[in-house]
Amino acid sequence: MIDWMGFVIVLVAALTGTVVVVGFYSLGLKMLVRAGRVPVVIPATFTDAITVLTAAEIKSAAKKAAKAGRKNPLTPVQKRIALVAAYSCFTICGLAILFGIYLIVPALHGGG
Amino acid sequence: MPVDITLIIVLVIALALFFDFTNGFHDTANAMATPIATGALKPKVAVGLAAILNLIGAFLSTEVAKTISGGIIREGDGGVLITPELIFAGLIGAIVWNMLTWLFGLPSSSSHALFGGLIGAALVGFGTGAIDLGVLMSKVLLPAVLAPLTAGLIAYVATKLAYRVTRRYDGKPDGRSGFRYGQIFSSSLVALAHGTNDAQKTMGVITLALISVNLQSPDEGVQFWVIVVCAVAIALGTYMGGWRIIRTLGTGLTDVKPAQGFAAETSTAATILASSHLGFALSTTQVASGSVIGSGIGRRGSTVRWKTAGRIAIGWLLTLPAAGVVGAIAALVAHLGLWGVILDAVVGVGTIVFIFLWSRRDKVGHHNVVSDVAASGEAVVIAPEPESKKVAK
Repeated sequence: MIDWMGFVIVLVAALTGTVVVVGFYSLGLKMLVRAGRVPVVIPATFTDAITVLTAAEIKSAAKKAAKAGRKNPLTPVQKRIALVAAYSCFTICGLAILFGIYLIVPALHGGG
Repeated sequence: MPVDITLIIVLVIALALFFDFTNGFHDTANAMATPIATGALKPKVAVGLAAILNLIGAFLSTEVAKTISGGIIREGDGGVLITPELIFAGLIGAIVWNMLTWLFGLPSSSSHALFGGLIGAALVGFGTGAIDLGVLMSKVLLPAVLAPLTAGLIAYVATKLAYRVTRRYDGKPDGRSGFRYGQIFSSSLVALAHGTNDAQKTMGVITLALISVNLQSPDEGVQFWVIVVCAVAIALGTYMGGWRIIRTLGTGLTDVKPAQGFAAETSTAATILASSHLGFALSTTQVASGSVIGSGIGRRGSTVRWKTAGRIAIGWLLTLPAAGVVGAIAALVAHLGLWGVILDAVVGVGTIVFIFLWSRRDKVGHHNVVSDVAASGEAVVIAPEPESKKVAK
């Protein structure tokens, strides 16, 4: 007996989970940018390994992000709403992951 | 209990734990290479995190272990009496094949090597009646084919989504750099998922061995001490595998952007977790590779190198039967009795030591350093974006 339903469940569950997590995370980033807080994460450098960005490139990226933050067409209130929206999106992401783990661990919901 | 049975049980458990260790050792790169490469995590932190999460993951679910201990090989009435010799032979088959593919840089899957070895040994020992074809198809072979495709499809959708949502047409910073923070979580989830699927395989094998000598009834689940030792073995292997990642970085990695890496890792973790929950034993390496290829296709200006993708797929298909042949030979020898088992052990350990020493002669190169997952990224070519270059200058 081949459990075709099982494969469908895996596809649907994994697709839903991924789309929710990736979608809301992306939306959160977009809102963060709207709020004028462009995230700049500097790639680390390693000895004996690739350097992803040079110091000058990092500086110019941070500068550009700050400039984009200053030239913001939104009013302060709108900015605050965008920021709240951004953090809400990230929270939804986190909750979705926790819910997924909750579903998987039988000990958490009394299943066998 | 006779001495030879105790001896063989100890041998089986030791081999199984060694297999578990190499599994963690080999797969650290799958989970943690991307966040290290994009700078989301420092190598030491990443490796430690992966080890801890593998440990936790091993405790979360035992569905996959139950598939292995209670499904594939028919036991009891109308089936076969599994002997520890058979499991031993299967493990030898899996480990030898794993080491060989590692040496020659062939894409392989530890999980399929394990199944192949066990199935080959069972076939030699008891003929075709020994294998429950239904369970084999449903829980091992079909997931093997479908899981990478599923993960690839999901990663494709997720990558498109991530780029679509964050796209800006005015050339201002788009904040995609922020996906690097997300990668810390997504790659952690991959490590956790790895523990829920791969540590289970060893638990299943040890449980099977314990059932075979009546140290445990078939109806029981996995014993607690088995969960603990397997979790520790895989976590230790993961931690020890860390040096390999740093070497990987030294020789360069496939170009993976933060948004793409985040999408691929989320897809990998979701697929593995959902499959573990339903007891599908799948290859985590293959799922991760499927995601990397899928997310590559999801990026703009990408073309697939079908030749490279085909080579990877052939390596995957080859693993199960090849490990089966090695397992079958080992089972034939083990049938000779105690001396056969000792011969198996000597040849097996000899092969491992020989391959290890042989591999040290080789210089570190692309073929033995880059993880299978990173290598699968080469199946997709991404055309450089002309406008992003203009902005950088």
